[in-house]
Amino acid sequence: MSSVQTMAGGPPSTPAARPETAPEPAATPRRSASGGSRNLLSRTAFRVVLLGSSVLFLYPFLWLVSASVKPRPEVFDNLLIPEHFAPGNYARIWNAEPVLNWFLNSVTVSLAAAATVTVSSSLVAFGFAYFRFPGRNVLFGLVLGTMMLPGAVTMIPVYLIWNTAGLATTQVPLWAGNLFGSAFYIFLLRQFFLGLPREVFEAARVDGASYWTMFWRIAVPLCKPAMIVTFVFEIQASWSDLMRPLIYLRDPELFTLPRGLKAVVDRFGQSGEAEWEIVLAGSVITTLPMIILFFILQRYFVSGIATQGRKG
Amino acid sequence: MPGVTVAPAPGPQPRARPRRVTGLRRREALAGYGFLAPWLIGFTVFMAGPMIASFALSLTDYDILTPPEYVGWDNYRELLADPRVGLSLANTLVFALLHVPLTMLVALTLASVLARVGRRSAGFFRTVFYLPVVTPRVAVGVLFLLLFNGQVGLVNSTLEGFGIEGPEWTTDAPWVKPGLVVMSLWSVGGTVVIYLAALKNVPTELYEAAAIDGASAWRQFRHITLPMISGALFFTFIVLTIASLQVFDEAYTAYYGTAAAGYSSDAALFYLIYLFQQAFRFLHMGYASAMAWLLFLVIVVITVIQVRVSRRFVYYEGQ
Amino acid sequence: MSNRRTKFATTAAILALVLSGCGGVGANNDKLSGDGKPVTLTSMGFGAGDEIAKVRVDEALKTISPDKVKLSENAFDAQQFLSAVAAGSPPDLVYLGRQVLGSYAAKDNLMPLTDCIAKQKIDMKQYRVPAVKEVTLDGKVYGLPEFYSNRIVLINNAALKEAGVDPAGVTTSDWAALTDLARTLTKRNGKGKLSRIGFDPKIPEFLPMWARANGVSIISEDGRTANLADPKLVEALEYTVSLINLQGGWGKFKAFRDSFDFFGAKNQFAKNQLGAFPMEDWYLNVLAENSPDVQITAVPFTGLDGQTVDFVSGQAWAIPAASKHKDVACEFIKTMTDSKTWVKAAQARAKARAAENKPYTGTYTGNLVADQTIFGELVKPSGNTSLDAAVQVVLKAQESAVTLPSSPAGEEFLKAWESAVNRVLSGDQKPAEALAQAQEEAQKALDAAAGN
Repeated sequence: MSSVQTMAGGPPSTPAARPETAPEPAATPRRSASGGSRNLLSRTAFRVVLLGSSVLFLYPFLWLVSASVKPRPEVFDNLLIPEHFAPGNYARIWNAEPVLNWFLNSVTVSLAAAATVTVSSSLVAFGFAYFRFPGRNVLFGLVLGTMMLPGAVTMIPVYLIWNTAGLATTQVPLWAGNLFGSAFYIFLLRQFFLGLPREVFEAARVDGASYWTMFWRIAVPLCKPAMIVTFVFEIQASWSDLMRPLIYLRDPELFTLPRGLKAVVDRFGQSGEAEWEIVLAGSVITTLPMIILFFILQRYFVSGIATQGRKG
Repeated sequence: MPGVTVAPAPGPQPRARPRRVTGLRRREALAGYGFLAPWLIGFTVFMAGPMIASFALSLTDYDILTPPEYVGWDNYRELLADPRVGLSLANTLVFALLHVPLTMLVALTLASVLARVGRRSAGFFRTVFYLPVVTPRVAVGVLFLLLFNGQVGLVNSTLEGFGIEGPEWTTDAPWVKPGLVVMSLWSVGGTVVIYLAALKNVPTELYEAAAIDGASAWRQFRHITLPMISGALFFTFIVLTIASLQVFDEAYTAYYGTAAAGYSSDAALFYLIYLFQQAFRFLHMGYASAMAWLLFLVIVVITVIQVRVSRRFVYYEGQ
Repeated sequence: MSNRRTKFATTAAILALVLSGCGGVGANNDKLSGDGKPVTLTSMGFGAGDEIAKVRVDEALKTISPDKVKLSENAFDAQQFLSAVAAGSPPDLVYLGRQVLGSYAAKDNLMPLTDCIAKQKIDMKQYRVPAVKEVTLDGKVYGLPEFYSNRIVLINNAALKEAGVDPAGVTTSDWAALTDLARTLTKRNGKGKLSRIGFDPKIPEFLPMWARANGVSIISEDGRTANLADPKLVEALEYTVSLINLQGGWGKFKAFRDSFDFFGAKNQFAKNQLGAFPMEDWYLNVLAENSPDVQITAVPFTGLDGQTVDFVSGQAWAIPAASKHKDVACEFIKTMTDSKTWVKAAQARAKARAAENKPYTGTYTGNLVADQTIFGELVKPSGNTSLDAAVQVVLKAQESAVTLPSSPAGEEFLKAWESAVNRVLSGDQKPAEALAQAQEEAQKALDAAAGN
């Protein structure tokens, strides 16, 4: 855990702008001429490796999009440009299932999940970062411990709680658990709050600011990037979730996109009787919003993940 | 609470303070608990409570519709005798054994290469590698079924181009798990980004010094890179293992559910899928709770072993 | 301060209401039903996909107007149904397989329709007897039968001509000959990949039919004793698996079959990717609509004794015991399965097909009276000899219909033998071993259900 402290000591810079002190061999000074050309050679080799693997990573997307606009018998022809263009696949899934509902449900649920987890986790994180109170380290250890707790262990009792509350067939259980913070985000945000110089708060306190003001007016604005990371991460996690919608949602009009896509697979993907083009159109509809979001906010996605490793 | 607050606070600077500040400190402590309140409530209601409840349930027969009936250790006895518990556990362990090391190896390779190209192209490739990570797992399950179709899928068609006859990834029992593992490597991007960040944190001077000493690239990697990023390796090792023991989405999409039921493949019956079926398809809540506890124990044991073993290899800065 | 706090609390409460409002399932509507205000019934398992469904739904909605039914396109899902029951908010109506209905009836998740039948004066005699038997448990009727799916063998004439075999001569009574035929019809391309399946035995789902062909039933007549370890059944499974193995094995076989354009114009017959397979009658409609020019031959599925085995199954409408609108639900399902409604729907389809200049091959319902009109008046010789003949084969086969008896553990029983077949297909177990295990699992479930 000590590398955590190293990081926490740093200034609360924008995570994406965190200085990247890269060991770039190319920049290593003074190599012999032959070494330089070998270097160039190896760099080219690396580029080739990267380009090759990029094809492996990108091609499934291209295949997916292309196959989703092919007529049924051509889905498996593995041509990148469809021989016959069949955008009607999208019209068919649109008519067959309440796709718009699913999309809006996914948007609502993931926004609710992300908003609640960001607010609650930053409250808790600030509690851990700023205040001194008995049992703090033990409690924080507990927070870290719950990160390792498999969700499967609590799945059934939590379902029973929602069932007793009469909410077991609604969308509420998909996000309401987030009202209480989430270990990983608490950890992440605490790091950022710890990075704020304590003097700022002491000065505010001298001016008579309440703890709430210190949190809301000072800590939160200074840690906005970290909060956006939390928000974006949770949007993505919540958007992809299949297990909870499977457990809780019954009415197809309440389905989220992944749950809906599973229903589409069940309905149109029967062995030997499959209509894959519909399933593929559904897959594109489920995936595309996340891809777009990723392109807009990618620095937050990437910096959030990168911070994870530094907990070690 | 008041009784607790009198105890000396283990703050970062535990130096003795004058008596008059105690009131202030008590207020600070109370405020601290206040900020922690959401988590404290959540922990009690949604974690600790359910953990205990889950254990209590595991000693009962419970189908929600009728009150639970105490059956002692029957569920655990039945569980040990259930061939499908053994099968699903074995499937899950095989998946984890393939998935975790391969993910780490591929991610480390890609990250090492990324660390060696200019920053601009590294950014581009990082984006490319990360894209599959944001793809919902259900869609990945669909892609698996289609791309890995042994007769007409893209993967085998491509292999054929190299003169290799690919296996029946989606239908031939011994190949289902390897297929799912290969598919899972598509989503290796998260681990790549973690390793890349760790690699960039290795001080350049170390390499320079080693280069002057004439150390080969391999020796530099073995004696500088690996120890310096061992923290990140250890972290991903643990996290990937825990996640892979709970693998669900892709396999469930591809092989289970209403329609696929007639053709499900036991080779893809992972532990969480079987648990889910027991709990929510058959409403065997007691039995499923016992299964959940078994999984918990398995994860704890594996994690403890991992921590013990890793302790010998992980290098922490400042130690 | 307290004022602000109240404000916050109010906002939070409103927010919670708004957010949970997205999840509220008509709970408020139910309370209104007493006031005579229109209600909306929730349902599970039935979607109005084609004209046969749409016309009948429109009819049924007319009879319950101003009440409404919210249909859901997705198939009945045991997990969803049970969790809805557990949550105390089951759908008002379910549409599910007659084979599995017994499971839910035995657990009292579904209500007996005795009162419903009496109140609505439902004429039970209009339904086909085997279908009603499928939904009767302990003397009580739990569902109203819908479709009546007959199974016959469909043969691709082109493939057989290529092999120099007369399609009309194909029989499933001679297993050795069928093996030879399957081998002859199977085709591989230059690279060793399947390009045509010779004969698809359609297991696991058709195993009960193969069992019948070999002279046994997979479950006792009273639906309480599993007969999965019967040597005759083992033999039937061994045989059908051998058919798949000689065509490349399950892996290749299924992967190739997964690429069929089953519901399209380039289906496996049109593209000559399949020699023959036993199939349900509704597939004739699919062929008539999408590839009416493809020449096929239908022959009855026959047992080793040469007798026709028309293995029949289908769906049924049922009403959950905790349904909040039982009377409306009853009225709805009465109309859905009534002979007049079926005939109207069949007329609509016949008209739609005629407009497209395509043949109408009939709709096989669980309603005998409806079928008499449909096949007596609406299905006319279309001039498409291949399909016309096929319809006659189905009608003839129908006289030898067999169904599985209703069982208090239908769902578990189905799962037990299907998994056994899957284990054999994926090479995990030998047929005898897999079926012995299934027998044990199934009998355990049956005994438990009987104890309820």
